Amino acid sequence: MKGSPHLEIENLQAYFYASADRTFVRAVTGVDLCVMRGETLALIGESGSGKSVTALSALGLLKGDPGIVAGRICLHTDEGPRELLAGLDRCVTIERTPERPLSISKNGPAWDRQQKRNFVGVRGKEIAAIFQNPRTAFNPYLMVGEQIVENIRLHTPTKLYQEAYDQALYWLERVGLEPAAERFDNFPYGLSGGMCQRAMLAMTLAAEPALLIADEPTTGLDATLRTAILELLAELQRNLGFTLLMISHDLHVVRRLAQRVAVFYNGVIVERGPSLAMLSANDIPKHPYTQALLDAQPVRVSPKPRRLIALQGDVPSPIGEAAGCRFAPRCTHAKGINAKRCEHESPPFFQVSSDHQLACWLYTDSKEVSVRGVDA
Amino acid sequence: MRTRYVERNLDGAQSAGQSFSQTRRWWDTAGIAFGVLVFFVLTLAFTASQFGWLPYDPDQADLDLILAPLGSPGHILGTDFFGRDLATRLIVGVNAYFLPALGAVAVSLTIGATLGLAAGFRGGPVGLATHYTCTLVEAIPRLLLVLFAVTVYQPDIYHIMLIIGLTGFPGLATRLRLRIRHLREQSFFESALASGVSLQTILFKHLLWHHCRPLFLIHASQAMGEAILFETSLSYLGFGVQEPTPSWGNMVQTGSDYLLQGNFWPSTLPAAAIAITLIAFYLFADAFERRAQDRQNP
Repeated sequence: MKGSPHLEIENLQAYFYASADRTFVRAVTGVDLCVMRGETLALIGESGSGKSVTALSALGLLKGDPGIVAGRICLHTDEGPRELLAGLDRCVTIERTPERPLSISKNGPAWDRQQKRNFVGVRGKEIAAIFQNPRTAFNPYLMVGEQIVENIRLHTPTKLYQEAYDQALYWLERVGLEPAAERFDNFPYGLSGGMCQRAMLAMTLAAEPALLIADEPTTGLDATLRTAILELLAELQRNLGFTLLMISHDLHVVRRLAQRVAVFYNGVIVERGPSLAMLSANDIPKHPYTQALLDAQPVRVSPKPRRLIALQGDVPSPIGEAAGCRFAPRCTHAKGINAKRCEHESPPFFQVSSDHQLACWLYTDSKEVSVRGVDA
Repeated sequence: MRTRYVERNLDGAQSAGQSFSQTRRWWDTAGIAFGVLVFFVLTLAFTASQFGWLPYDPDQADLDLILAPLGSPGHILGTDFFGRDLATRLIVGVNAYFLPALGAVAVSLTIGATLGLAAGFRGGPVGLATHYTCTLVEAIPRLLLVLFAVTVYQPDIYHIMLIIGLTGFPGLATRLRLRIRHLREQSFFESALASGVSLQTILFKHLLWHHCRPLFLIHASQAMGEAILFETSLSYLGFGVQEPTPSWGNMVQTGSDYLLQGNFWPSTLPAAAIAITLIAFYLFADAFERRAQDRQNP
């Protein structure tokens, strides 16, 4: 099964209504992503670039109005492919008129019903998620172990309390929380952040999900804990074989854990490819934004001390429709002869190596990728 | 020397803090125990009067023993101006409010829980409407409303308690609304959804049962106290239970005629009973609330 697609996201579009401005704000516009079975794919990019929106869309947990307005998310389960956004386009109408460039109306109740139907048996069992702030991710009034037991009884054939209890102890030990019987009885506030994240991993993995979404799992943990948690995550993934979709700000982490990486900027993917090649400072072609991310990242071993370079300028406004390359206003290359094209034409994906594509007019010599979505 | 001084000082501060919190904890336990005890005694009295396990007939007048003082042989709490046994009448007096007050509590709990949950979870216009409704209902003087109803319709005690119940929900609804609204923004809500727990389970089991259980008990206790206060006030004013059926309210009222003659017990005893009961319910609510807060912010 390895190497086949696990989660395919095609042309995902999500908007939010900003009541203060009485207008729609772009969250993601046309994200194409394919997560392979058993791999680790990392989504990187700055805050608000649409990483979490994409991940939450796959979970059906995107809050806000109107949320997803178009796209296709296909989850390949053991029983066959499942369209997670099936029938949802019927509940949304998008209109573009000269007076109002974009107006979206959504039949909320019908949408909710349809989404509920689409996601039966998916959350927790097929796709599980861990979030940042593990200490608040547990119900504070319930013992940690009880919550693991609840998840086990919900998603696995084990229904007897005693059996579920034994399994919970096994998982607590598996993630390194020992003595397990004592940790079982702990309340979330009795655990440290790192211990909570371990317990969170125990809880989600006890249901044996096929795909785990980790939304900045180590944000808010100190450096040693971060490493420990990531080692644990990598080890669990090696042994359990689940697919990992990871969101992170930390490029070192991504390079270490992920096989492939997708770079988000302002609601679109600007580059995707193998993480080692993309995130190392050699001469492999990079999107200027990826380069900027790398320049802003401290390097531990470098031949000579290097100044960190902060990216100048601001993210373009997410209101209204975007024309041209989103990164153009901040891009050092979008000057002179390039400027006009960068500002007015949206770049397609160019294939720079076998599985490395980037959307930038700098690489017009490379082959243009016509197929959206599947990027294997 | 210096170090030892500092250490001793720190120890002192710590033990002072500990003893303060220990004292408070002790008082809270005492308050909760007192409330439970009083409720138990009331239930016992109610059961006793229902099954007729009474020392005397509450309406049996003994004209030889009019206004017997406290501690008289056979009448440990004395008798009233008809020679009726005060202890018996106090026990039977519980009948006047016990079931109606429980009904009022049930009504206000149901309405408050439904409104609070809906408003807290849905938010938006529903939340706003609930907020305004609660404020509006809270602004109505309930005793006046009840007196108005009494003068116009002359309803029985159950209808009066229905009014009390129907107007008693704002406290619970408001607190529940704010609580649920706060909780649904917490990340464990999202985390539970992401691990596939159904929304109903989260709402009713995780939020209402695990987080808001104390709120219900606190509200029930306060509402019970309020209902008892209303019943006794009405009976005192002559609108509730009528003589010769005993109620603590009308016992205070009729007994007060003899107060100035020096026979204080026919009115003071039921008044003390009312006071103790109310204090018990409010103390219970208070102590229990602090307990719940301690549990929430350990």
